[in-house]
Amino acid sequence: MKPEEIRSQFPALGQTVYGKPLVYLDNAATAQRPWAVLDKERQLASTVNGNIHRAVHKLAVDATEEYEKTRDAVRDFLNAGSREEIVFTSGTTMSINLVASCFGEAFIGEGDEVIVSVAEHHSNIVPWQLLCQRKKATLKVLDVDEFGGLQVDTLEKLISQRTKIVAISHISNVLGLVNPVSEIIQIAHAHDIPVLVDGAQGSIHEKVDVKAMDCDFYAFSGHKVYGATGTGVLYGKKKWLDAMPPYMGGGEMIETVRFSRTTFAPVPGKFEAGTQNFNAVPTLQEALQLARRFQEDVEVAQNEYAITQFLLDTLTADSRIHLVGVPRGTQVKVPLFSFTVEGAHHEDIALILDKMGIAVRSGQMCAEPLMDRFGVTGMLRVSFAPYNTMEEAEYFVKCLNKAIAMLV
Amino acid sequence: MPDQVGHDGKHMTLEEKKQAVIEEFSMYDEWLDKYEYLIELGKALEAYPEEEKTEDKLIKGCQSRVWLDYELKDGKLFFRADSDAIITKGIISLLLSVYSGRTPEEIAADDFGFVDAIGLRENLSPTRANGLVSMIETIKSAAREMADQARHDDNGEMADQVGHDDSVIPGSTRNPEDGVLTAEDVAALQPLYADVILALKQVYDPEIPVNIYDLGLIYELNIDKERKVSILMTFTAPNCPMADEVMHEVEESVKRVPGVTGCHIELTFEPVWDRSMLSEEARVDLGLDYEEDDYGKLND
Repeated sequence: MKPEEIRSQFPALGQTVYGKPLVYLDNAATAQRPWAVLDKERQLASTVNGNIHRAVHKLAVDATEEYEKTRDAVRDFLNAGSREEIVFTSGTTMSINLVASCFGEAFIGEGDEVIVSVAEHHSNIVPWQLLCQRKKATLKVLDVDEFGGLQVDTLEKLISQRTKIVAISHISNVLGLVNPVSEIIQIAHAHDIPVLVDGAQGSIHEKVDVKAMDCDFYAFSGHKVYGATGTGVLYGKKKWLDAMPPYMGGGEMIETVRFSRTTFAPVPGKFEAGTQNFNAVPTLQEALQLARRFQEDVEVAQNEYAITQFLLDTLTADSRIHLVGVPRGTQVKVPLFSFTVEGAHHEDIALILDKMGIAVRSGQMCAEPLMDRFGVTGMLRVSFAPYNTMEEAEYFVKCLNKAIAMLV
Repeated sequence: MPDQVGHDGKHMTLEEKKQAVIEEFSMYDEWLDKYEYLIELGKALEAYPEEEKTEDKLIKGCQSRVWLDYELKDGKLFFRADSDAIITKGIISLLLSVYSGRTPEEIAADDFGFVDAIGLRENLSPTRANGLVSMIETIKSAAREMADQARHDDNGEMADQVGHDDSVIPGSTRNPEDGVLTAEDVAALQPLYADVILALKQVYDPEIPVNIYDLGLIYELNIDKERKVSILMTFTAPNCPMADEVMHEVEESVKRVPGVTGCHIELTFEPVWDRSMLSEEARVDLGLDYEEDDYGKLND
């Protein structure tokens, strides 16, 4: 598939902003949605709109079927062992909070330790901090090197008898480097420590196989893989999900309710309390199918590789620009670039680019510890999707140079 | 810093100065030209000593950082500010050229509408917790407080009527037993007012998607020396079924502000709330053009 063909499926890409054609380079924050997804949500809302898992009438039954079919689609997408291991959430943030809260409740106590990396999104830091505060546990931090590579060789030293879980991103939303999660999981498992993988970015760029990876939890968001907002997934090995207490109490997560004692539904229902996002979740069927096609398409891979190489070359050749997340050795870089510009503030550049029609991200990117690690208050980030063209990448570089010239 | 002296050498009034800025801006059709102009202004802004960029002067925004300091000299408020982002700094320069050196009363009575007139608010407000928006708030509340203090000193009595423009004059105090606050007290309480207002802005009206502060439901806000907060507030309708819940939420939200020792809320329907009490922000949020009298639907 050529980017031009792909673009025609995404209506938002055809618009102009401030009279300029939109160049959308903030895909790591949220991806644009194709007609297939937009149509699906509208179709469900306007036809089979019945509350799932409850009533016996036609609408409810059809809605339930759509919802549960999606669970199978997600199972396929992740190559999970069973559909019971797929929990629907509102997004990656909720998925991680669920694990921090419920796994933490069951398995983490005073004096225990949790390991995260310095390059995590706040969503994979703060839930663990809250847990550690509550349980008087300690949060330990795996560092990155000056290029942004995870210092996996120091993980062994961080692990102790009290380490209960390791939570790590598949791909950092700032660095854009594919982390050696399999290696991390092997090291952790050798000490019988489970690993949660934050797949918010990984699910976009990598063909995830949770069985091969052998992670204990994998979390991702629907809206970053072209699905509806407010959808998300938590994969968890059944043995853990079974052993964890429920997250929220409410309808449909119960088996029997008595004031003397309530018993809970088996997984995954135990973690899906209350009315679910049943108009939006089924869009994951279309979204994940498309995401997988992108991941397997040769032309998409070629385009992505060409853009990545072009930007790596351009940004590293410019002495005014400091790029973080530079691939070394066999490291894989996805088309996501965060950098600072000497003498120019990221917000100024982003404001100017915006008026040139280019949507980029500026600021801390929800990764303040990593900003501190590199001694900056923020960065500029551009992130590409399969619908972005090489022309857009070139236009971005041209405009970036113009913006810098205005500012410096 | 651009001064307030016109080309004819005469001192420009606040209105004249605002008009001059609006005219200056209208010369630029393209956003990039506006930015060029702001960048120029930013680069020319009087230096703010590095050693004075202290934490207490910092107005934190998500992206750019803004430092703001002010002092009252000969009855006029002088501001000094800086930012690490140059466009923000240009906007600061613009704001300072308009407001610095004015009397607190003048600034307090101003609606800062010219920021909208030159299209800056529209351009900048989407940025979360933007340092500039907070800066305008700080300028406004500093002026209000100083103005109130001055009135206090002049009249020897407490101000009890609150302006309708923006709901609250921080520092106005009704309780005689609080004693008269000294200028030092007012200055010391200043950051707390800002925090309490922020806390009030977290509470939303159950029916209208605007926070109770911008909705103009807060008629008075006082913080005494013991850092006890008293609030006089109203509701959009006397029979609001959610009144108790909202008042409880207000109390909880205010009490959570670090430094606050207590919170007392009084309910009043005098004067009865009307649409003119909506803040500028609320009007923008609700998409209302306040020239037209069409907010009747809010009360439906």
